[in-house]
Parts: sequence; C-alpha cells; structure tokens
Amino acid sequence: MPRYFFHVFNGDGFTPDEEGIDLEDQASAQRMALDSIRSMISEEARKGVLDLDGYIDIVDGGAQSLRKIPFPEAFVLRLPGPRSD
Amino acid sequence: MIDRLFLKLRVRDLLSAEEEAVLRETIVELAEVPAKKTVLCRGEPLHRSILLIDGLMCRYKDLRNGRRQISALHVPGDFLDLHGFTLKHLDHDVMSLSPCRIAYAEHSRLVRLTEEFPHLTRLLWFTTNLDAAIHREWELSLGQRTGVARAAHLFCELYQRLRIVGLVQGQSYAFPLNQSELGECLGMTPVHTNRVLRELRERRLATFKGGLVVIEDLRGLEALAEFDAAYLYLDSTPR
Repeated sequence: MPRYFFHVFNGDGFTPDEEGIDLEDQASAQRMALDSIRSMISEEARKGVLDLDGYIDIVDGGAQSLRKIPFPEAFVLRLPGPRSD
Repeated sequence: MIDRLFLKLRVRDLLSAEEEAVLRETIVELAEVPAKKTVLCRGEPLHRSILLIDGLMCRYKDLRNGRRQISALHVPGDFLDLHGFTLKHLDHDVMSLSPCRIAYAEHSRLVRLTEEFPHLTRLLWFTTNLDAAIHREWELSLGQRTGVARAAHLFCELYQRLRIVGLVQGQSYAFPLNQSELGECLGMTPVHTNRVLRELRERRLATFKGGLVVIEDLRGLEALAEFDAAYLYLDSTPR
C-alpha cells in the first residue's frame, strides 16, 4: 500500500506529518483527510471555537502534493440568514 | 520468565516463595508472536490463559466499516485473557503491536490453583479487577478528556505501568505503535493524533517519535491529564 502524508495548516500553525499512513489509494487518503478535519474541528467546537480557516495537504511518498483539502470542504455549511417566514 | 508478573504483584501485596513456585509451575510453554498478529479472536473457545512476557499487545473491537477501537494495552507481566478463565470465550480480539513473547496457563491448572491457594487466587482476581479499573479510566478519557489530555493521560499511565516492571529508562520508554494505532487507543484519526502530539511537544511535556516516548515534564503532563495513579492501586496491602 502506498504511504500518504497529511500536513495540517490552520490557525495554530503548521503540523507536519513525518510518519505518514499506509492507505489503499488516493480516494482513501481523501476520506482520511475529510475524517480528520471533522475530528479536529469537532474537538475545537467543544471548546467553543469554530475556525474553518485551514487545510490538509495530502502528499505522496515522493513529497509531491496530491491535493489540498480546505476545511470547509468537510462540511455542509448552513449559516443563519434572513428568514422568509 | 514470569518475573515481571512477580514485580507487578509484589507492588500490591506480599507473594510467598510457595506462591511464586506455583505460578512458575502453572505458567509454562514460551511462544514467540510476530508483530501485528491477532492472537485471540472473539468467540473462540478458550482452554488456557496467556501471560505477556515481552512486547506490547492490545485488546480491540471494531465496526463493520473498519473503524477499530483499542480498549486496552498490555505490558509485560499482564495476563491478556485471565478474564477468559471464567468467560471461556472473549467478546473482543487481542493483537500483538510489536514482536512478543507469551506463556500459557492451562485452565485446568488454574482450577487447581484456585482450589488450593486462596490468597494467590485473590491476587489473580485483583489483576482482572485492575484491568477493569483501567478500562473505566479509558472510558473517562474517551468520553470526557480533550484529545491532548487523553494522549497525556495514556503516556502517564504507561509510564507507571512500565516503571513497575522495570521498563522505563530515565524518563523514556519504548512504545512501539505508529500514529494510526495510537489514534485507535485515543479514539482519534492519526492526523488528529499527530496534531495532539505536536501540542505535547510544543508545551515541552512529552514527545512520541519512532516508537519511543520521552517524558520531559512528568508533573506538567500529569497536571494536564488530571492523572491520579490511585486507579492503578500501587499500594501494598493484604488482599
């Protein structure tokens, strides 16, 4: 299985992934990134902070960036707007 | 061979020479286990219990979607499935995280031990009660502690459990897990786990890298984790 690295860029800086994770393919890597964003944001939300200004950079074993996933991509966002009723 | 079990028990109570001899006769037949091997499967009928001699193992349960929760870690001197002596099969799996050495105690021998050595029986019962206490603490972690406190708590716990059996050198100990497996202990994805580790590193509390935990500030780590070793019952008392 190929190894993917998940570097996190967000409000508290850059967290490099030095170890990487062995996953089936790039689709699995993408699912891992989305899952991880949800996991990190839900913990921050419990502390009362909702900061979606960040992204995960999925990088392959040759240090080639495969895809950057912005945090908002992991969510269906419904923000309060003017009500019609 | 089973000296680490003696170390673990002697912290909690006196162990007579006769009791040590009985344990030596009961726990026999050394075997090697490679890393990442499931040594016990849920549902499988059991006729013996396993003592971990060397290495690191875990108990785990998983869901159909592949998500796995490691519910306990075992260090040398721990029984993997002494509860299996009365349950006769397990509701979870047991897997080696590193290369391990194990030894076996046939249930028929344990039956004799329980009939002839009541104090030793209570000590073995104590070890399964201790397992339950550790499970409760992990439950508190998974349900209520923040990610960083959860990781800090696990490092504090292993520091104490490994110290008893002589496996802490200075302020560091071998912890041969990758970040995915550590995440499965903490109920987090490996990426989230990595971020939590960064926080522990930046606060100069502990580092985890290349299968080694180095504790830089034990008091600080314990304070962050709200770690109270009372649930590990480290006092020697007649049991």
